[in-house]
Amino acid sequence: MYPNRKKLSAAYIKKATSVSAVILVIIFLGIFAAFWNIQIVNYEYFRRLAIQNITRSIDLPAPRGLIVDSKRAVLSENKINFTLYLVRENVVDMEKTMRLASFFSAKKNDALRAIIAKYKKYPQFYRIPIKTNLARSTVIFIESRQEEFPEFVIGVEPTRTYPLENCAANVLGYISEITEAELNSPERHEYSLGDFIGRSGIEKQFESYLKGVKGSQVVIKDNLEKIQKVESEIKPLIGATVVLTLDLELQKFVEGLFVDQNGAAGVVDLRTGGILAMVSKPDYNPEIFSQEMEREQWLALSNDPRKPLQNKFLQGIYSPGSVFKIIMALVGLQEKIISPATVVHCSGSQDFYGREFHCWNLSGHGTMDIFSALQNSCNIFFYNLGKRLDIDTIARYARMMGLGNESGIDMPNENKGLVPGSAWKMKTFGQRWFPGETISVAIGHGSLNVTPVQLLKMIATVALRGRMPSLHLLQRIERQGKKIVEFPPAFTRVPIAVENFQVVIDGLFRCVNNGGTGGSAAIAGLDICGKTGTSQIIAKENPNYKTLTKEKRFMPNSWFVSFAPKDNPRVAMVVLVENGGDAGASAAPLAARIYKKYFENERLF
Amino acid sequence: MKDYFKYFDKLTFILLIVLALTGILLIYSAGFSLNETNYLKQAAWLLVALAVFFIVFSLKIDFVFRNASAVYLLLLFILALQILAGHISAGTKSWFRLGAVGMQFSEFIKIPLALLLAKILARYPLLDGKVFFELIALIALPVALIILQPDLGVSFILCSFIPTIILLKKVRPLILVSSLMLAMLCGLVGWNSLLKDYQKNRIISFLNPSKYKTSIGYQIIQSKIAIGSGGLSGKGYLKGSQSQYQFLPARRTDFIVSVIGEEMGFINIAILFFIFFVVFYRQFKFNFQNDEEFYFIYLFNGLILFQFLVNVTMAMGFFPVLGIPLPFVSYGGSSLLSFFVGEAIIFRIKINNYLT
Repeated sequence: MYPNRKKLSAAYIKKATSVSAVILVIIFLGIFAAFWNIQIVNYEYFRRLAIQNITRSIDLPAPRGLIVDSKRAVLSENKINFTLYLVRENVVDMEKTMRLASFFSAKKNDALRAIIAKYKKYPQFYRIPIKTNLARSTVIFIESRQEEFPEFVIGVEPTRTYPLENCAANVLGYISEITEAELNSPERHEYSLGDFIGRSGIEKQFESYLKGVKGSQVVIKDNLEKIQKVESEIKPLIGATVVLTLDLELQKFVEGLFVDQNGAAGVVDLRTGGILAMVSKPDYNPEIFSQEMEREQWLALSNDPRKPLQNKFLQGIYSPGSVFKIIMALVGLQEKIISPATVVHCSGSQDFYGREFHCWNLSGHGTMDIFSALQNSCNIFFYNLGKRLDIDTIARYARMMGLGNESGIDMPNENKGLVPGSAWKMKTFGQRWFPGETISVAIGHGSLNVTPVQLLKMIATVALRGRMPSLHLLQRIERQGKKIVEFPPAFTRVPIAVENFQVVIDGLFRCVNNGGTGGSAAIAGLDICGKTGTSQIIAKENPNYKTLTKEKRFMPNSWFVSFAPKDNPRVAMVVLVENGGDAGASAAPLAARIYKKYFENERLF
Repeated sequence: MKDYFKYFDKLTFILLIVLALTGILLIYSAGFSLNETNYLKQAAWLLVALAVFFIVFSLKIDFVFRNASAVYLLLLFILALQILAGHISAGTKSWFRLGAVGMQFSEFIKIPLALLLAKILARYPLLDGKVFFELIALIALPVALIILQPDLGVSFILCSFIPTIILLKKVRPLILVSSLMLAMLCGLVGWNSLLKDYQKNRIISFLNPSKYKTSIGYQIIQSKIAIGSGGLSGKGYLKGSQSQYQFLPARRTDFIVSVIGEEMGFINIAILFFIFFVVFYRQFKFNFQNDEEFYFIYLFNGLILFQFLVNVTMAMGFFPVLGIPLPFVSYGGSSLLSFFVGEAIIFRIKINNYLT
C-alpha cells in the first residue's frame, strides 16, 4: 500500500523494541520493589500510623458527687455544659482560627493565646478547652458548620452548679480550674489540665470523695474529627454523695435574719455535735467559680472589705468580750477562788494596779454573786476574779474549753484565734506579762481573740456540763447508695466538775430569763440559757470601716452564745452581728427567732 | 470482517476493559463513604469511549494522519477561547461544557499532537536544529495554553514527547545542550510569571512534607500511610480507613493507586501493574507499514507509560503532586476517552499489517 514510506532499518526497529522492553522491565521492577518496600517491609510502621489516624482516646470527665443536707435537699450538683475545644492539629490558618475562636468565645486574642500556650507540651491532637458554658446558639452554629472549621470541637460535660445560689455558700465552698503548678505536685497526679478542684469549704474538705473517677473512650474518627464509632468505653464514676448535718430550712432561715447586717451564726445539735446551720455574711454565689471568671469580678470579690469569700464562722477573728466571763466563772469555781457564796460589791468602777477600771453600768450593780454577775455581765465582779488568778491559769482553762486552737470541725482553713499567756507575751513582744493585762482579759478584752466556731464549741460544752462534742458538718458519705464513711457522735470530757457547770448554767439562765442582759432572747416555755458579749473594736482596724456609716463604724460587735433547753439541752448556738452595738438588742433577738423556728420544726414547742 | 476479528488484539483490548472496570470499582470505593455517584458517570463514559473506539478504529489510517493538523489547530483554538472566556468572566467558561458533562479539551490534544510529531519525524531522517525546534514549538504551544487553563498535569505530560523524540532520533549534542538551556530559561520565566502560588506550593511541598492537613505534603504522607497499611492482602474492599474516613485526598483521581493499595493490598497492586506491563509490552512490539505509524505508537505509548509512572510515583511520594490521573483507571471521562481514541489508532495500525 505504501511501498516507499518505510525507511527505518530492521536493525533500528529491533533495537527500538529491545530498548523499550528493557526500559519497561526496569520501570516495573522498580515500582514493584517500591511497593514491596512500603507494603511488606514497612507494613507494621504504616499500619500503626493508620490506626493512630483514626483512633482517639478521649477522657470522660467524672461528674462530681452531690452535696445534700440531712434531709437530702440538693445543695450542689452538676448540669450540662458545652465546652469549646481547639484541636491544633486541624488548624489550617492560625490567624483565621484565632479570629473565629475570639468570635465564639468573646475572649481577646491575648487571652486565647495564653490558654493555648499552657498546652504547649501536650500533643497536637489534644483538645484545648477554649470556653466553657458555651451559649446554645453558638453550639448549634459550630456543629452545623463543622466541616468549615474542623479545628473546633464541642464537648458536652458536667459542670458544677449550686441551685440555691448564695445559700450556704461559705459552707459548700467552690471549685476552680487546677493550675499548672498544682499539677506538678505528686498528690495531684490524678488530675490533668482543665480539671476542676475544690478550693474551699466542703468542696475542698471532701475533694477526694467528691471528684469521682474519670472514664475514657477510644473512638474511631474521620479526618474531620467526626466520631464514626465508639471502639471501647470505660464509663466515668460519679463522685460520692456527701450528706451534711445541715438543715437547709434552718440554714435559709438563719441566713434570712441577716438583712443588711454582716456577721456569722452557727447552730449545733447537742445530741450529735452536727452543725444544723452555719452562716457567714456577706456571701457570694459559688457557681461563678465553676464558670470562667473575669479578672475584675475576682478582684471585686477578693478585695471586698466585707470579706464575702471568708467563712467568718471559722476564719473570722473577734474579741469575745463578755462571753469570756463564762470561762472566767468556770476557772474561778474550779480553782476554788470563788464559790456560789462569794460576793463582790460593784460601784461602777474600781482601781486596779493604779488604773481605774469601769463596769459597763457606770452607776454600779451593787452586791454581786456569780449568778447575778453572769446575769448582769458585771465587769467589776470579773475584774476582781481576774486579779486573784494568773494569766496562765486562765489560758489553760480557755484552751481546755476550745479557745486558742482549731475547733477540729471538718472544714478547711480554720483560724486558731489567740489565747494570750506569759510565754506568748515574751515570745512575741519580748516583755513579761503585766498583771493589769489580766484584768482586761478577765472580761474578754485585751489580746484575746476567738472565732465563732470556738465559742460554739465552748457553749456546747457548757450546755452538756463538760462533755465536749466534736463539731462536724459531715453526716455520711455514700457511693451508689451505700454508706462508705460516717461521722459517729463523739464527745470528750473536760476536767471541770459538773456542779461548777451547773452554777454557770444557772447564771446563764438568769441572764435570759431573770431580766439579765440576754432578756430579749427569752421565749416563754423554753428554758434558754445564754450570755451576751459586746466587744469594743478599734474603729480603724475594723474591716468594715470604709463601708459603714459614721455612727456604725464605732459600733461594737455583738455576741450571743446560748443553748436550750436548760435541762436535757437540744441545741446550742452562736450569733455574731458585726457592728451590732448592744448585744442584748441585736444578737439576742436573732437567737430567739432561731430557737422558735427550730423548736417549731421539731414539734417540741 | 472475519479477518478483522481474527487479527484484532483481543487480549490487549480485554485487559484495557479490565483496567477501566477496575477503575470504576475503585471510584465506587473512593466515593462510598460520601455516597458519591461518580462511578456511574465513569461507567457511562466507558460506554461512550468504547463506541468512539470502534468509530476511530474503522477510520483509515491515512485519513487520520491527514486530518491531524486540522484537529490540532481546532483544539488550540478552543483552548485559547477558553482562556479568553475565563478572562472575561468566570461564568462564561461553562459555554464549553457539553450539556451537563464537563469536557476537558486539554486531554484530547495529545492525539493530534502525537500524530503531527510522528509525521514530521517520519519525514526527516535526521533532526537538525530547525526541525527539532519546529517539533518543540508544536509541543510548546499547547503546553503554554494548558498551563494558562490552568492545568499543570496535562501540560507536564505533553512534555514527555520530548525525551521520547530524543530517544528515537539522533539529535546533535549542541542542539540538546542549547535546548536544555532554553528549557531552563522557559522554566525560570514560567515559574516567576505563569505559575500560580498554589501550583508552586504543590511542587515545593513534595520536598517538604508538612503536618498541616490541607497541605500537599500532608496528602503525600496520608497516601503512603494508605498504601503501606494495606499490607499484603489489604484491609478489604470498602474497608480502608484512610480511604473511607477521608484521610486520603483526591481518591478517585491522583491517588486511586492508594485506594487499591490500602483496600486490596500488594497482591492486587501487583496484578494491576502486571496488566499494565502486558499492555505496554504488547503495544511496543508490533510490525508496521510506514514510519509515521512507528513514531506515533512510540510517542503515544511513551506518553501513557510516562503518565503511569508519574501517577504511581506521586502516590508513593517520589514525585510532586501535579494532578495526573492513572491512565484508564482514574476518574475522568475526557482522559478515558482520549486514551481509548489513541488505542483505537494503535489497534488499527496493528491490524493493517495483517490485512495487507
